[in-house]
Amino acid sequence: MTRSATWRRALGLAVAGLSMMTASAALAATTVTVWCWDTNFNGAAMREAAARYTAAHPDVTINIDDSMAQNDIRAKLQTQLLANDTTGLPDIALIEDDVAQKYLQSFPNAFVPLSDSIDMSQFAQYKVTPATSNGKSYSLPFDSGVTGLFYRSDYLEAAGYKAADLQDITWDQFIDIGKAVKAKTGHNLIGLDQSGDGLIRIMMQSAGRWFFKDDGTLDILDNAPLKAALETYAKIWQADIVKPVAAGSWADFTGSFTSGDTAVAIDGVWMTGTVKSQPDQSGKWAIAPIPKLAGVDGATHYSSEGGSSWYVLSSAPAKDAAIDFLKTIWAGDKDFYQKILVGQGAYSAWMPAVDGDAYKSSDAFFGGQPVWANFSEWQGKIPGIQYGLYTDEVNSAVVAQFPALIAGGSVDDALKAINDQATQQMQ
Amino acid sequence: MAAGRLGRSEQINGWLFIAPALVLLGLFMIYPIVWSLWMSFQVGKGMNLAFGGWANILRLTKDPVFVHALVNTCIFFVVQVPIMIVLALLFAVGLNDPTLRLRGLFRTAIFLPCVTSLVAYSTLFKSMFSLDGIVNKTLMFLHLTATPIPWLQDPFWAKVLIIIAITWRWTGYNMVFYLAALQNIDRSIYEVARIDGVPAWARFTQITIPLLKPVILFTTITSTIGTLQLFDEPKNILDGGPADATLTLSLYIYNLTFKFMPSFGYSATVSWVIVVVVAILSLLQFFVARERRPAA
Repeated sequence: MTRSATWRRALGLAVAGLSMMTASAALAATTVTVWCWDTNFNGAAMREAAARYTAAHPDVTINIDDSMAQNDIRAKLQTQLLANDTTGLPDIALIEDDVAQKYLQSFPNAFVPLSDSIDMSQFAQYKVTPATSNGKSYSLPFDSGVTGLFYRSDYLEAAGYKAADLQDITWDQFIDIGKAVKAKTGHNLIGLDQSGDGLIRIMMQSAGRWFFKDDGTLDILDNAPLKAALETYAKIWQADIVKPVAAGSWADFTGSFTSGDTAVAIDGVWMTGTVKSQPDQSGKWAIAPIPKLAGVDGATHYSSEGGSSWYVLSSAPAKDAAIDFLKTIWAGDKDFYQKILVGQGAYSAWMPAVDGDAYKSSDAFFGGQPVWANFSEWQGKIPGIQYGLYTDEVNSAVVAQFPALIAGGSVDDALKAINDQATQQMQ
Repeated sequence: MAAGRLGRSEQINGWLFIAPALVLLGLFMIYPIVWSLWMSFQVGKGMNLAFGGWANILRLTKDPVFVHALVNTCIFFVVQVPIMIVLALLFAVGLNDPTLRLRGLFRTAIFLPCVTSLVAYSTLFKSMFSLDGIVNKTLMFLHLTATPIPWLQDPFWAKVLIIIAITWRWTGYNMVFYLAALQNIDRSIYEVARIDGVPAWARFTQITIPLLKPVILFTTITSTIGTLQLFDEPKNILDGGPADATLTLSLYIYNLTFKFMPSFGYSATVSWVIVVVVAILSLLQFFVARERRPAA
């Protein structure tokens, strides 16, 4: 009897002790979970930010999960928010700008309006616009998507072109350069995947237009930049200066220029890290503004592609800590942005960071060109647009017309087909 | 009286025994199927669903992507299923020859693809069929082609690649059915035919094929159903590309739910289209086979 009573008491004490320990631990420690998708890029930048924040806030633990692909994160968010079950969702998620509105409007209360606590005027406005809904902005802009024309200066030189020849050119001149490069060096100009319409979107935003009107309805049939972009796209293929890339394969796409096969890459500034992945190509690369659509009103040399931003979920248990973390580091630490620029090539959309020293440095890989200063000049001139809700749907409709266009089909027929398909998909 | 009570309690016990399985089956099989049928009449984005009557069916008739996906899917099974069935039959007859050495090894080798993971082999095919992959290198080494074939870049070759991939994956599986059926054919029939001087080819077409007809029918139906549900290979090798060239109905359903603004109602409608097509084709195949049986 007595023995069992002692046992019971000891057990009771142990249980009480355990529960006290967990209770005090819960009081002290907050865990913020972050989802992003690129270990070497946004994952690494986030880890740097987390290290800085937790040094000053030892009570907060920041868990960064960058094991998933971007599409997996999108599918997970979409499925769970639809099922109205937020268990297991993170506190902070990284979402690409051109699909943000879909989440904001389909799930109006799922994300925290960060403009309530963070001053959005300090960020590049073309990054804030896509995340704004009903006058509130929901994201903390991460990397800029400012585009540039990355090119192999050695190939172009062999074909007789100097850096000055790439300033202020049109897409037609760009194609001529491609033909000359192919004739002289045997290298194709650019790698393209018929399953992706990134180039079309770059051209369109450079002219300040997208697939939709202000009221959200389709803007396809009389869309001059889209028409010009499709014509240009077909011409690039027909000029026989394209290395075809395996459908949907990112590795094959980046491999087309890192392997030295093609002469240029037209993409967002975030591609800098990938371009620099082959140290033996140091000094053989340079950057220029992207070509311009000729004869289109409002056409510029500046565009944006594939930048992303941080969102805090309303359901998050640690959302206050998450907001404070974003505010302290991502909207307040100038030194942090210098570090991730040099380390990851993550180009800030937070304007005060752009004054820092790293942003003035030049890069031997690009032949000593002050690349960051160039990008920062171009970033200020990107036309801001609303990406709307149905960018994915229209992308699919555009891509479906590529084979016909490349084979020489009529652009007006393609526009009509895109309009028909997108109208169906947007129901 | 007593016997009746016993009968009833046995009945109750019987129902109790199958109840757990029945509940699980109802919850995870029948309920979702009925629910998806109900959903196929709903319209709207995300969770804002409303009853739409025939709206989704009308939308089907005007949806170019649906038609495109349906045509792609049909091309796959019209081209691929016959190739695979014939190959499987030839392999089975060849490997059934008792004089063939290393039969076990060949049988295993041909069956092995179908125990591999769909995703794993898709990824492998993707690298093997790339422009500088082993397949193109081999073809060029043998001087069968001067320039690498754009398996992953060209809409036509992408379709060919998918057909090659699923044929590789499933031929062995169908071959096993034929092998099993061939074991059941009485050897004496062949002996008699040989004594009567029937040549080998006629023995194959006049004896083997008619006797295998039920199995051929079975494999044709299951292969057709499998091809109609094709998803893993186009998704993992080409993601439906280039430019929707390998978009199948299943992949379209996935896109409608997880890639685009989710329209659950419409994607449920498309999934019921697959059900209807499978039912029609199966009936058709039964009908064709049944008609010939009395004549044979």
